[in-house]
Amino acid sequence: MDKVRIVRHPQRVCLKDILENVYDNYTEIGGQGEYSIDPSMIIARAYITRNVGKKTYKQPVMVIGQEKGHGEEFRNGGSVKPWGNAKALEYMKVAETENIPIHSYIFTPGSYPVEDYPGAAQQIARNIYAMAGIKVPVVAVISEGGSGGAEAIGLADTRIMLSHGYYSVISPEGAAAIEGRSSASRKASGKLVENCARQLKITARDNLEMGYVDRIVQEPPLGARPDHFEFYRKLRQEVILATDEIILSIRGVKLFRAIALRKLNNPKIYVRWSLSTKSKERLVWRRYQKYRGLSRWAFEDSSTGFQRFKNFALETGWSIYSFLRYEFFGRHQRAITHLAEDVQGEVHALMDRVTHRFSSLFKKLPGVKKDREDVCQLTTLSTWEAGMSWNEHCRYVSPQANQDKTLTCPNSRKSNCLDLWAPDLFGDFAGVCSHCGHHFPMEYEWYLFNIFDSRSIREFNAPIEASNPLEFDGLTHKLDKAKKQTGHKSACMTFEAKIKGIQVVVAMLLARFRGGSVGAAEGEKFIRAAEQARRKHMPFLAYVHGTAGIRIQEGTNGLLQMPRCTLSVRRYLESGGLYLVVYDTNSYAGPLASFLGCSPYQFAIRSANIGFAGPGVIRETTGLDIPPNYHKSFQALSRGHIQGIWDRREIRNNLHHALMTMGGEFLYYR
Amino acid sequence: MKKHKVLIANRGEIAIRILRACQDLGQDFVCVYTREDAQSEHCTEALKHGGEDSLYRISSYQDPNEIFAVADHSQATAVHPGYGFFAEDFRFARRVVQRSRKLEFIGPSWKIIQDLGDKINTKRLARQLNVPTIPGSDRPIFDDLEAEEVARSLFNFQIEQGIEQPVILVKASAGGGGMGIEEVNDPDRFRNVLRKVKNYARRQFRDEGVLIEQRIFDFNHLEVQILADSHGNVVHFGTRNCTVQSTGRQKRIEVAPGFDPSAVSYAFDAGKVLNDVIEYSVHMAQNVGYNSIGTWEWIVSPTGKPFLMEVNTRIQVENGVSAIIARIEDMEVDLIREQIRIGLGEKMDFDQGSIKFEGVGIEYRILAEDPGNAFTPWVGRIEKFSWPEHPWLRMHTHIPRDRVYDIPTEFDPNLALGIVWGKNLKEAQKRGLTFLNQLTLQGRNNMGENLKSNISYLKEKTDSLLVF
Repeated sequence: MDKVRIVRHPQRVCLKDILENVYDNYTEIGGQGEYSIDPSMIIARAYITRNVGKKTYKQPVMVIGQEKGHGEEFRNGGSVKPWGNAKALEYMKVAETENIPIHSYIFTPGSYPVEDYPGAAQQIARNIYAMAGIKVPVVAVISEGGSGGAEAIGLADTRIMLSHGYYSVISPEGAAAIEGRSSASRKASGKLVENCARQLKITARDNLEMGYVDRIVQEPPLGARPDHFEFYRKLRQEVILATDEIILSIRGVKLFRAIALRKLNNPKIYVRWSLSTKSKERLVWRRYQKYRGLSRWAFEDSSTGFQRFKNFALETGWSIYSFLRYEFFGRHQRAITHLAEDVQGEVHALMDRVTHRFSSLFKKLPGVKKDREDVCQLTTLSTWEAGMSWNEHCRYVSPQANQDKTLTCPNSRKSNCLDLWAPDLFGDFAGVCSHCGHHFPMEYEWYLFNIFDSRSIREFNAPIEASNPLEFDGLTHKLDKAKKQTGHKSACMTFEAKIKGIQVVVAMLLARFRGGSVGAAEGEKFIRAAEQARRKHMPFLAYVHGTAGIRIQEGTNGLLQMPRCTLSVRRYLESGGLYLVVYDTNSYAGPLASFLGCSPYQFAIRSANIGFAGPGVIRETTGLDIPPNYHKSFQALSRGHIQGIWDRREIRNNLHHALMTMGGEFLYYR
Repeated sequence: MKKHKVLIANRGEIAIRILRACQDLGQDFVCVYTREDAQSEHCTEALKHGGEDSLYRISSYQDPNEIFAVADHSQATAVHPGYGFFAEDFRFARRVVQRSRKLEFIGPSWKIIQDLGDKINTKRLARQLNVPTIPGSDRPIFDDLEAEEVARSLFNFQIEQGIEQPVILVKASAGGGGMGIEEVNDPDRFRNVLRKVKNYARRQFRDEGVLIEQRIFDFNHLEVQILADSHGNVVHFGTRNCTVQSTGRQKRIEVAPGFDPSAVSYAFDAGKVLNDVIEYSVHMAQNVGYNSIGTWEWIVSPTGKPFLMEVNTRIQVENGVSAIIARIEDMEVDLIREQIRIGLGEKMDFDQGSIKFEGVGIEYRILAEDPGNAFTPWVGRIEKFSWPEHPWLRMHTHIPRDRVYDIPTEFDPNLALGIVWGKNLKEAQKRGLTFLNQLTLQGRNNMGENLKSNISYLKEKTDSLLVF
């Protein structure tokens, strides 16, 4: 907690100081002081001069970071509004065009959770998605790294942390507020905050041990202040070194310089910071692998050695199969069918002329009368395949439907809805008021039975188990309870299923398992599902029955799932996949601001609430009271976050329709 | 027979008829009414025969929760839905028998109401049993190409049948009550109309499926009255002809039996048609396990071809006209009484052989409306309403005769049903006219205008009854 106080001290170094002292010259882009679209986000084109031998090189970089200022009110404490993040994204793209590295400095307690356009969650998701594939080296320096605000500019190839900084999923006060279930009126006790801060393992040392930062820059004992010039020199050396290292690790000709850098720690070697096309690809691939490898120890996998071997064998098999089927065979097949179509067209044109002449003659022949009237069965019973393999016998009856009670629709005063009888409402109406269309919450099992074809669900990776990597007090117990209650080992259920015959891979976040929060196990399962979808060439559906955000008790282990999952989603999308997201109930925070929010096709059921932070958190962090329907799906639609709102009764049809239309010619599953 | 208390979840004349039938069977009853209906005779009757505790005021006849609250408070053990309101609502019927304090539902079991309440399902059931249905599709069609194929062959089909100007109907399969129906008389225009109906259906019912059917002109509307119990017995009470209807397809005169070949000449074998529709209806009722009173509705084309239209799984307004021509052991039948007995689990104590039919019945529906002006309802106060009693006349009404009565605007505008009987069609027609001539119905609205009724319209139609 002392660290947190140091970090938040008004006299702590801020980005401006670093720009002045670490870089040799800079131009602030898009704002001075409070005249900026968002004064809490600073973007600057800076350069570092290096004298090597007799030559002087100017090496340009794009510096992006939050500015806390020294107690300046308008800086908003480094809490960046959505449009500030949008600006950051814009200049990351500029850096990509100019082929110069990005240095990002993270000085934020968290993002400002308002949903005004472009929307906190949406913009962060966009940033993370873009950074997942950005083709220039990114070095992040973390002083205060809180939650989504940090991730918005923090998906870096190398992460350096200041020794007195903290990097966490949530500020200790926030964690204490959630843990102690305190409300705005009753603040969490100091002791609890202290406890949370300790348990969340937010310090530089902890994060280095867990592997989430790569290096630590030592600060003076009470933290760096604006006049600690020795510290600036050290920091300068570190960022240059980090950039050099990244560049050299992916460049063809590096041999001696890499060795020299590592062994001698010699800053006097010159490395050009622009990249060739080949190295750009290597850079992105390396970044993917780096994040893919993180936090793999933070969950339990209780599958046996045999199962693992089987899975591995299956995966390899599928890779080979889909390579043959889609890459090798598919390409030729397409060429052949195109050719065949052309030929057929020609033949048709020719035949038409020929048959036309003979047809009159042909018709006069006896016994050629066509007998096709029965095809349409105007008076007899026709066959009716109502949906493919839709089995009446495995209908699901919600436990909510098994009680003799009536429910009053919350809109009854406005729209005069009659009270609804539970068996009707939950058994037949899918939990939707038949009068006004209000959606009552439904449990996830309902969806399993009502969206997917009967008996088509095959779960995989079920043994991956949510655990308590930080040994946070009480979490193990809570997880055990949730596991027992739901019968699942984590809040993410991944399976393959069919929707009217179309095979899809689904990752479902279950609201009943710790609020659908995402930790290391859930992230891993999500990633594996995306990989499976990519391997098998299937559409990938993320069904968010509900998510409360990142599981804060897992600390950075949870937070890291934001970039990790986004990277895998991006990899899937870039290989040509169709990624659909459907939100059902409350969907908030981290997942939304990363791997869910980055999907180009996001839909909501009418019951969904979508946003970055819940109303309580917004009140606590910003002091603003938000209107009661702030997070309703209709609002999210008008803000442009989601692409459509579906009625729950229609969801199966809509999903099928979406899969058919959005797949288009590049249908993965054809 | 076990002692029951029947909650009559309806209003007006049917509530009175159910109430009388309950009394007849020695069962208790409890009635409900709303504020608008406080002056209705069914309230008076309930108070007279059941006392203070047998009448509850509710705010709506449409709210099941209120009905059940009354049922629980009054300790009712059975519910009679009458017609309209909950009569064909399978959810209501299901709730009656599935709630924690279970009641008897006087009507078919809810599964049957659900199955036969669905037009498409009924049509498919009928086709399974080789019962004739209106030519066309028997399942919702979503695919445009398939729809065009069906439409094309339906045009050809009609031409083959010798119809000179074939017309088809495109209906929204999820629709009902005349919504989302368009007709096409030109095959080239079909695609246009299909788009229109599909768009309408998607907006209105969230379901794009359409049905495509032949449009039949100048048909007669026939009904077969079926009664079945839960022990597998099915009997019929003959046919009715309900062809005299207002512009909004509301029935005005019903005649039993459906055709009368002895008095009117038909272009087809009318007796055979009647036998056929009865046979089909009974056959279907047996196969679906029907277990209450119900009506199979048919349309008969000018060439004498019957097509099953729908099944009404309830007691109907016009049940009395079938009852008046039926005799069991020389006694007149009360179908509502039989329905209640069967609904409470009793076995039918007669069979088809013991039901004899005698004479002709005509039912007139007397309404305050202006037949000359598209049957616009007339609203106001009834000041005088009277008729002389006759042994051949049954009158059912909820209009009080001893005081003035304001017609409530909230409900079905029927005022009274007059059912006359004659030993043949001629006598029945004559008595019908006598009845209508002797009927006094006077009133005034708040603009001082005289009451408008459909009596002269009914008189005018009496002459041509049963003529195709």
